[in-house]
Amino acid sequence: MGDEVLAIHDLHVSVEGNEIIKGISLSINLGEVHVIMGRNGAGKSTLANVIMGHPAYEVTSGNITYNGKDLDEMEVFERARAGMFLSFQYPSSIPGVQVGTFLRKSVTAVRGESAPSAREFRKELKSHMEALDMDKSFLSRYVNDGFSGGEKKRLEILQMLLLNPNLALLDETDSGLDIDALRVVAEGINSIGSTSGCLLITHYQRLLDHVKPTYVHVMIDGKIVKTGGAELALDLEAKGYDWLEA
Amino acid sequence: MMNYPNITIPLRSEHLWRYTSWKRIHPTNVDEIPTADPVKFSEGEDSKIEDSDEIARSFIHSVSKICKRINLVGENKEVDLRCSGHICAGELEINSEGDSSLILRISGDAGWTGIRLIGTVSGNLSVAVVNDLSKDGHFLRAEDWTINRDSSLEFATLSVGGFLNKSDIRVKLAGKGAELRAGIASNGHASRHDDHHFEIDHSIGYTTSSLVMHAACSGSSHSIGTGLLKIADGADGSDAAQVFRNLLLSEKARAEAIPELEVLADDVKAAHGAASAPIDENQLHYLSSRGLSKSQASSLIVEGFLMDAFRHVKNDIVVDCLRTRLLVHLECLING
Repeated sequence: MGDEVLAIHDLHVSVEGNEIIKGISLSINLGEVHVIMGRNGAGKSTLANVIMGHPAYEVTSGNITYNGKDLDEMEVFERARAGMFLSFQYPSSIPGVQVGTFLRKSVTAVRGESAPSAREFRKELKSHMEALDMDKSFLSRYVNDGFSGGEKKRLEILQMLLLNPNLALLDETDSGLDIDALRVVAEGINSIGSTSGCLLITHYQRLLDHVKPTYVHVMIDGKIVKTGGAELALDLEAKGYDWLEA
Repeated sequence: MMNYPNITIPLRSEHLWRYTSWKRIHPTNVDEIPTADPVKFSEGEDSKIEDSDEIARSFIHSVSKICKRINLVGENKEVDLRCSGHICAGELEINSEGDSSLILRISGDAGWTGIRLIGTVSGNLSVAVVNDLSKDGHFLRAEDWTINRDSSLEFATLSVGGFLNKSDIRVKLAGKGAELRAGIASNGHASRHDDHHFEIDHSIGYTTSSLVMHAACSGSSHSIGTGLLKIADGADGSDAAQVFRNLLLSEKARAEAIPELEVLADDVKAAHGAASAPIDENQLHYLSSRGLSKSQASSLIVEGFLMDAFRHVKNDIVVDCLRTRLLVHLECLING
């Protein structure tokens, strides 16, 4: 249990009175990549959002612990400062706030006293942006404002690399990416994967050509109905989800 | 031309005076022309401008003992307007040619300040006007700009100072190809009252204008944005847009956004919109998930919202000045 980053025990979650998650248990250890697959509406994004503490979701029973601490006791920003990161499926735009300013504030908030100096930050930023094939003009644009789908996803991965989380939750980060962008994003995931726990939500097996999962879970109607290795994703690609509903 | 005492006091039913009556913004009794100290301009030549039939302009002209002129010919200037004393007033004439920028910073602890400005633009001018007056002052501002043929004016106002503020800004697009890009950002705090009236007159066709006004209101502050867009008969090919957005940060804060159109030409584009809303919960959650506390996240959203009013301003000197001044202001608000 020493390496356990995230533990979910019999979790039930409702939104506006509708139960979306109907009893999920899951344990993620450091260095593990867990992949959750499932149809639209299965509750995958709800799971990611509730772990990160979105106020619209109500945990009706069960609990989630992060590094042994009950998440119920932690505000959203405290979760982030403790090393949790969510790459959003639909990241919000913040008009008027430049990407560079936002990244600096975020890194300062999350890394606290160990935050890099302005010079070190610029160096780190430059290195990660080069790795993600991002132009420096990105920094003066407003956060996610007018960004293409691919640009939004790259910015999410850039943040993940800068914040270097202990637990990364990636909600359909591969959606809408072309093949080159997918490879770049996968490299970003792999670069933190060995030292962090990772929960990857995806619809497609193609990301798993680049990211090797420890476990693949299938979620149907708010429950995990099957868990396996990378081969399970190939089965899903070939057979769909119907065979799991029987 | 009538002098101030002979001009009829406007009724509150008039669009311009609906939310800040003349009686309220006048420094003493409406029948009086009080003695005023002159605004101290950091530069400018002595000049003189005509009286006006409009009450605010005529009043400032009547009480003002100083008028300066600034000529810009392809240059960047920053001019400080220091306002002190019980009542303080001044007039300013601006003539611009070539590609120029001008930052006007209005500051000081005057009880009441009146500033009248007349500007003529040939070429491309980018202007920032920063209302940085002390928090308990009253401020009356009246401006008239003319944009000549194939010329452009980027006009940005950051309004964070003063307690009771009334601005009446009028821009005339006087020649084909004239273009206006205007942005106003107002931050309401405590019980600050900030009333902006912006008139844009497409007096001739094939002219373009855009106006964006963003007001972020907290405490029991009150922001008013009224726009009057006029497109003259025969001014075909005019393209105009006005957007007013308000961010309400407390239950007692109020914001009015009233764009009005007066379109007499047939072949034009004229769009307008207005919206008021609290901070978006998804924006807050996004920033919180990046480690920002609720107050840090809210502050960043407000900063962005206000800066976004200047998204059409391309001049980096002007934008940097506005951003710096806004950050200082927000920092002061947070730290008391």
